[in-house]
Amino acid sequence: MSANMYRVGDYVFFETSSTAPYQIRRIEELNKTQNGNVEAKVMCFYRRRDISNSLIILADKHHNALDEEGEEKREIDDELAPKPDGETNGGPLSPAKDPVEENGTENNSPTNGSTNNNNNHQAGVGAGGLGMEEIPEKLRHQLKHRELFLSRQVETLPATHIRGKCCVTLLNETESLLSYLNKDDTFFYSLVYDPQQKTLLADKGEIRVGSKYQAEMIPKLSEGEGDVRKSEDLEELVWDPLHGLSEKEIDQFQIIARSVGTFARALDCTSTVRQPSLHMSAAAASRDITIFHAMNTLHQHKYNIAKAIQSLVPSGGPVLCRDEMEEWSASEANLFEDAIEQYGKDFNGIRQDFLPWKSLKSIVEYYYMWKTTDRYVQQKRIKASEAESKLKQVYIPNYNKPNPAAITNKLNGADGQVSGRACESCYTAHSNQWYSWGPVHMQCRLCSNCWSYWKKYGGLKMPTRLDGERPAPNQRQERIAQMNSIRMQKCTFTGCGKVSQRQEFKLKAHLNRHMATSHGMPIQPGSPRPVMKTRAAFCLVTTELTRISRRLCRDLLRPRHATRCPFTPINTSLIKQECQLRLSERPSYQQPAKYRTPATLDPVVARLGIDIKQEKPSLLLKGPNYGGGDRSSTPKERPQENVKVGSGHPSIMKKRGYEQTNGVDSGPAAKRPNMGVIRQAGTAIKTPGVTRRGSVLNHNSVNGRSRFCGKSMRMQLVGWMDNPDDVYFVATAATRKIRKQLQMNDFKRLARNPWKTLNVKPPLPSGSLSGSNGHRPTVPQEVVVLD
Amino acid sequence: MTTLPPKRKICYYYDGDIGNYYYGQGHPMKPHRIRMTHNLILNYGLYRKMEIYRPHKATAEEMTKFHSDDYIKFLRSIRPDNMAEYNKQMQRFNVGEDCPVFDGMYEFCQLSTGGSVAGAVKLNKQAADIAINWAGGLHHAKKSEASGFCYVNDIVLGILELLKYHQRVLYVDIDIHHGDGVEEAFYTTDRVMTVSFHKYGEYFPGTGDLRDIGAGKGKYYAVNFPLRDGIDDESYESIFKPVITRVMEMYQPSAIVLQCGADSLSGDRLGCFNLTLKGHGKCVEFIKKWNLPVLLLGGGGYTIRNVARCWTYETSIALNCDVANELPYNDYFEYYGPDFKLHISPSNMANQNTPEYMDKIKTRLFDNLRMLPHAPGVQMQAIPEDALHDESDEDDKVNPDQRISIRQSDKRIACEEEFSDSEDEDGGGRKDKRDHKKKRQKTEADDKKDGEKDKKEEKEVKKEAPEVKEEAKTSQEKDDKAAAPTEKKENSPSAPKSESAAAPVTDNSSKDKEPEVAAGTTASSEPEKMEH
Repeated sequence: MSANMYRVGDYVFFETSSTAPYQIRRIEELNKTQNGNVEAKVMCFYRRRDISNSLIILADKHHNALDEEGEEKREIDDELAPKPDGETNGGPLSPAKDPVEENGTENNSPTNGSTNNNNNHQAGVGAGGLGMEEIPEKLRHQLKHRELFLSRQVETLPATHIRGKCCVTLLNETESLLSYLNKDDTFFYSLVYDPQQKTLLADKGEIRVGSKYQAEMIPKLSEGEGDVRKSEDLEELVWDPLHGLSEKEIDQFQIIARSVGTFARALDCTSTVRQPSLHMSAAAASRDITIFHAMNTLHQHKYNIAKAIQSLVPSGGPVLCRDEMEEWSASEANLFEDAIEQYGKDFNGIRQDFLPWKSLKSIVEYYYMWKTTDRYVQQKRIKASEAESKLKQVYIPNYNKPNPAAITNKLNGADGQVSGRACESCYTAHSNQWYSWGPVHMQCRLCSNCWSYWKKYGGLKMPTRLDGERPAPNQRQERIAQMNSIRMQKCTFTGCGKVSQRQEFKLKAHLNRHMATSHGMPIQPGSPRPVMKTRAAFCLVTTELTRISRRLCRDLLRPRHATRCPFTPINTSLIKQECQLRLSERPSYQQPAKYRTPATLDPVVARLGIDIKQEKPSLLLKGPNYGGGDRSSTPKERPQENVKVGSGHPSIMKKRGYEQTNGVDSGPAAKRPNMGVIRQAGTAIKTPGVTRRGSVLNHNSVNGRSRFCGKSMRMQLVGWMDNPDDVYFVATAATRKIRKQLQMNDFKRLARNPWKTLNVKPPLPSGSLSGSNGHRPTVPQEVVVLD
Repeated sequence: MTTLPPKRKICYYYDGDIGNYYYGQGHPMKPHRIRMTHNLILNYGLYRKMEIYRPHKATAEEMTKFHSDDYIKFLRSIRPDNMAEYNKQMQRFNVGEDCPVFDGMYEFCQLSTGGSVAGAVKLNKQAADIAINWAGGLHHAKKSEASGFCYVNDIVLGILELLKYHQRVLYVDIDIHHGDGVEEAFYTTDRVMTVSFHKYGEYFPGTGDLRDIGAGKGKYYAVNFPLRDGIDDESYESIFKPVITRVMEMYQPSAIVLQCGADSLSGDRLGCFNLTLKGHGKCVEFIKKWNLPVLLLGGGGYTIRNVARCWTYETSIALNCDVANELPYNDYFEYYGPDFKLHISPSNMANQNTPEYMDKIKTRLFDNLRMLPHAPGVQMQAIPEDALHDESDEDDKVNPDQRISIRQSDKRIACEEEFSDSEDEDGGGRKDKRDHKKKRQKTEADDKKDGEKDKKEEKEVKKEAPEVKEEAKTSQEKDDKAAAPTEKKENSPSAPKSESAAAPVTDNSSKDKEPEVAAGTTASSEPEKMEH
């Protein structure tokens, strides 16, 4: 149990990536979040692999500089010296050579690395486990995994990512480094790493030497010389234990003093208010101040009890000793409680603003006494419940979920055949579980032992050809390049770039910038898809040729597929080519006769008694503007507007009947022509303002932005700042009424086939459409073309 | 080890005002804990058993016996209401954050210092055996700098007072923080030995490394025992007693100042040790056993109920007087809930100080202590014959012309103490002795600043080295393969070994990390050194 109980101050492994080694952290705080999760505020430790090579060299130099530690390592060196191939770096062996640094240089020289590798191979086969008997390289190598760098960096991680405890200690020069290897999960550090400044520093204070720092020594007084100071100047005796009184006598005197105090309280009017009962008076008289006074009195009267008692009852009446607790009136106490609630323990502030007639000392004294009262306990309880989010410990069960890096495709029996490779670290051929490790193309794998070693210590037990501890900078770049070659970041805009080809970007960040600057379209992280909404909308105007090509090259275009996968690029040039070819074969290509006439609004409108003629002109007026030149070529024009209502994607070709026909095989033309009408029919509202509102299908007409559309039908990019917002549907009371008329079945059918006309009897056969008409045509329809 | 006189005279210093100084909102240092202690002492009936003194307020003149004039002048004049005028000086004197300017700050320093100085004077006059000032013990304050809640270093001032009558004063610090202020003040003198047991590593004040041993004349007179989190009573005792014993034997002080910082207790707001009152109190008990005048001071301690418990308990120890575990009723009784007991129990935190770790530190400290010139009265003994050993393997690898770092050369210097192999010298392996011999020379040279000796020493080293090298060359090839494995054999069993007197060779290698010494080198250097 206690193993899984994590406390503030514990050193723990954190898993933030399934393949990367654990991170080593120290828990500084445990906080409960509002949703009941526990977050750990942790102090970061860095591994050698986490910091740059140059700093590692510095760190090793630092170790060398510390003689003791140099020796320390020399000890290992010496111990390991007999191995003839131990000194791979050549040159005369200098005794102070730091083995870690030695290895550091090996990192850079592949040849040395390979010799090591051979060594390790042998050792790996021979050695049963960790221990002194193993060969030098291995130990040195493994020691590198135990060194950490403290940082002052604090981060917050979910406590559920804790994967066990470890132990991190400041390296002490008396310790053998090897002792760390003998214990699991132990690490050492000696330097502090600053991740911002990329610096290392020793975490050490300094005792300074110089006359500015040391005390001037006082010579021992010579024999006859004495201290001239009088003790009366230095101290005042308050109690002398050689009083000649027995314990009992003192106790008795204390009781007398308390009795006198009780009596004094009985006589004192202010006290009787405070302590209405004798019991309370007695309690008040038993407070420490009375006893201290009694002791002082005894001392002052040279421990003569009779005299002391006399002084307790001087001529004026019994002596009354009251401490701050008693001295303060109830109102003062209330004032203080209010003050402390407001000001906290800013006693200066409290004194100034609440209790100016009290001295600071008496407020402080009162405060510490007040803390013993129930009132304080209550306040504390409230505070405690507030501070409940701060936990002292948290229980995290063992993490048992399989790691995604685990190789699961083969059963145990066949494990040898997965890659035919032995463990990358220990070269064993058998393991219950294998884990893929390193870059994918290398197909390396680790046995379960080495995998857990890798996770904990961030390296392999043995140096490897991959040097898995830390990819060298060039390696890293290679990897990045590899990844990029696989998945080049592409701009999804067809017309983008100087060349017709779409621009490619090496990094997503570049693409992001490109998208943002030249298309005004930021990209959501994790998706190549721009955050579209309506930001940069443009209309696609199909030329006749396009439309023909859609028909002719349907097999190439695979429109259904294309609609389903709108982000897969379509080879337009091929289609164009093919289309040309096919066209030449059939020069007199006509649009197929098989042409579904979409439902028109006319019957509905007629039924509604709307004067269509009245309505149409407004539509048609706008039309020419809208359609531009293309319009003339449309085979058929449809008067109705087709408004897709709702917040759906604005791939709406609006008010262009021919578009529908050109919608070709996208089946239903994705319009709900009559919805709007119904709605409008329902809006039997007279006032222009309201009608206007009621007519709002797309609130951008309200915004007055509608002017941006329809200027031309060229494929047009509208600056996102000026771009209209999404279409949304405002349900009016009338629409709601209509909805109520609908059967459930109708609803369902409609939902499934949104383009179907809806045959509903309008509740209010009114011709109040007129007011809205003026606006509706201006409703911009945005088309997003992302091939 | 000593039979105690039944009663020792205890003087206790306390000013009733001390509890009302307030460092500021949220500041962990609470002088109120001293009042809480006092009230407990009263109600336990300890009050009536000792001399109670109200200390004088130390004067600026007294304070400047250690502190610089301008620093004290600054402390005297700064107040919360005129802080703005002192911006520059506040930075210079490190007053502001940890050491805030609060109302009555200077008075507080005066009272705390007054108690310690008066206590020291009392001890000097032999008017008391133990003087207690729980308001003192502010061990971080520097000569011209406030630090770690401390403004005026009452300890240094107290020790300076003691030095008027005592040739050697021992300062022992069991606060969880390093006693850097006191160590620094006496870093270069041999008249005060500072011994501090403290948490080291990523911890205030950052000093107190094992390698900080003093400088100049004071070299080897600073003893630092760096510790890790969670040390418990048992472990603490296992280091405190042997180290102090050795210190007492080697240094033979005539007065002891013990700083009883209570932040080394379990559950301290700032501390991370796991001591209980018993473990903490044992240190007081142990110090007291030496029958020397003791100045018992307060210090850190930030879970104030435990501080009061601790110091009350330690007062009772000083008085040799048992106290009940049941706390007596007092004004602050409610603070001690929910159990209202005197003693506290340790937490279940892990003790990161392994026995091996502590043994190694201890051994190293013992090695350092052997560098001390023998205190008068320490018996000299003849060197055991088998103490002769080859001087160093190190030398054969070192280029003789190469400069040797001071630290390295220090290591080669032996001290005379090794000749006197007293029984209690439990850690002493032969090799240590060898080392000390050489080191001793160096220390002498250092101390006397005798240039001649230095030169001689250098020559010696140079002379030695070639010899060794020759030998090494011849033997190296042969031994290369053979020697190292044997060395390993020697080493491996020694690893867990503590400082048992046996196994001289293995002991050495494990203990000091000194490079192993090849056999049969310079026996000749031995007699030379003996002359010194």
